[in-house]
Amino acid sequence: MQEYKKIAITKDEIVPLAKKMRENRIALAMIHGFINDEGKPNISYEYEVGNGIESYTVDGEDTLPTISDIYDLGAEWAEREIVELMEVTFEGLDTSKRLFMPDNMLDGQGQIIVTPMDELIDRAHGKKGE
Amino acid sequence: MSYIVPIGPYHPALEEPVHARLYTDGEQITDAEVFIGYNHRGIEKLAQQKNFIQTVTLVERVCGICSHSHALGYAMALENIAGMNVPKRGQYIRVIMNELERLHSHFLWLGIALHLVGHDSLFMHTWNEREVIMDMLEEISGNRVNYGMVTIGGSRRDIDDDKRRKILEMLDKVEKSMVRLRDILLSDKTVALRTQGVGVLTTEDSIRIGAVGPHARASNVPVDVRKDSPYCCYEDFEFEKAVYPTCDVFSRVVIRVLENFESIKIIRQALEMLPTGPINLGTKIPKIPAGEYMVRHEAPRGQLCYKVVTDGSEFNKRVSIHVPTFKTAPTIPTMLRGNSVADAGLIVASIDPCFSCMDR
Repeated sequence: MQEYKKIAITKDEIVPLAKKMRENRIALAMIHGFINDEGKPNISYEYEVGNGIESYTVDGEDTLPTISDIYDLGAEWAEREIVELMEVTFEGLDTSKRLFMPDNMLDGQGQIIVTPMDELIDRAHGKKGE
Repeated sequence: MSYIVPIGPYHPALEEPVHARLYTDGEQITDAEVFIGYNHRGIEKLAQQKNFIQTVTLVERVCGICSHSHALGYAMALENIAGMNVPKRGQYIRVIMNELERLHSHFLWLGIALHLVGHDSLFMHTWNEREVIMDMLEEISGNRVNYGMVTIGGSRRDIDDDKRRKILEMLDKVEKSMVRLRDILLSDKTVALRTQGVGVLTTEDSIRIGAVGPHARASNVPVDVRKDSPYCCYEDFEFEKAVYPTCDVFSRVVIRVLENFESIKIIRQALEMLPTGPINLGTKIPKIPAGEYMVRHEAPRGQLCYKVVTDGSEFNKRVSIHVPTFKTAPTIPTMLRGNSVADAGLIVASIDPCFSCMDR
């Protein structure tokens, strides 16, 4: 059975922890971003330790330091995904170019556009959005 | 002369939408960028509105190739939250399905790679073998793509003696073809010329970027969740972690061939040792307490992560899916640098990308 351990940390601990993990050749499985019940970000760094996962979670912070200089593209892509899908800033992360769709699309906004289902139905029936 | 060559999002060399921008000096690629997200479906968000049984069906549709892996990853996360002990027969059936899925996925990729190197007769031969496995998956589950074999607490369908015999017969035939295929692949000049020394990802770069699965193993990095962090009774079976040291596209071809032999070995053992007893803990919507868990599963393309958060209701609070292509696609620019534009399609395809998974 794979083990899972959740550990709360502060944002000041993110970089020293990542450095320690990298030095010990521990892989970063992923970085997750959720929105908590208060509408604030909940970011967790999942490290592959032994037979399981140690999940280091920072709750309620919308500005965090990047670890892309430590875990390279493995962290950079995960951080860029969170930046583009949630209102979170990673200090030191290069966000000059987008990951999700290039910057020359969608009038430079590059955001993922979701057309609501009711609007699609209305369009199909010629009600609006012609 | 310097040029920027765009590939995709819709391009004959790409099976799914992705955009790569190649910076070239004449024919040589000097740098590259990759953009994803052309078909993002918001499945993680949608899962928050579904109950646990509905979500198994939903996540199975993240991908058309490794659908079983997605359903399994999600089910394992919930089973761990609830502390369920899945019956051993159910676990073994899951392993059989995993490995059949890996077989047909690797055959699929081998066929695409052979098509891209211009060896279409071998491409057809490879896909012919894949068809046999797809037929068997259909015989077991009733479906060729979304098998519906996973339920929370076990497997939904059993493998009886008749099916067991048919699978073993099918494996004998596939193994015989695999031997022939291996001999051709390892000695064919066309394959060697188009793949050896092309799209190199060194062991150091693979570890630095954090590549996973067969892509990492083809760069001589011995990572495999089935061995490193066993689940579903994988510890019961004898098999090798396939690694190969040349770190190029050829290495990625060899790895898939070697892994197919290992998968056949695992399926045979699972069928021979298939325990008696129930296959699941019932098929009603299970009661899952509040909690969270993250599991890893070795899908055909590498490590697949599922993190699920529950709040005691019958709906998911959060579902987060991280797929192997998200870990292997960042290696594309590194592999492309120094290669010719003509090889770009093959190099991008060599990670065995699944943008359907990535745009979950």
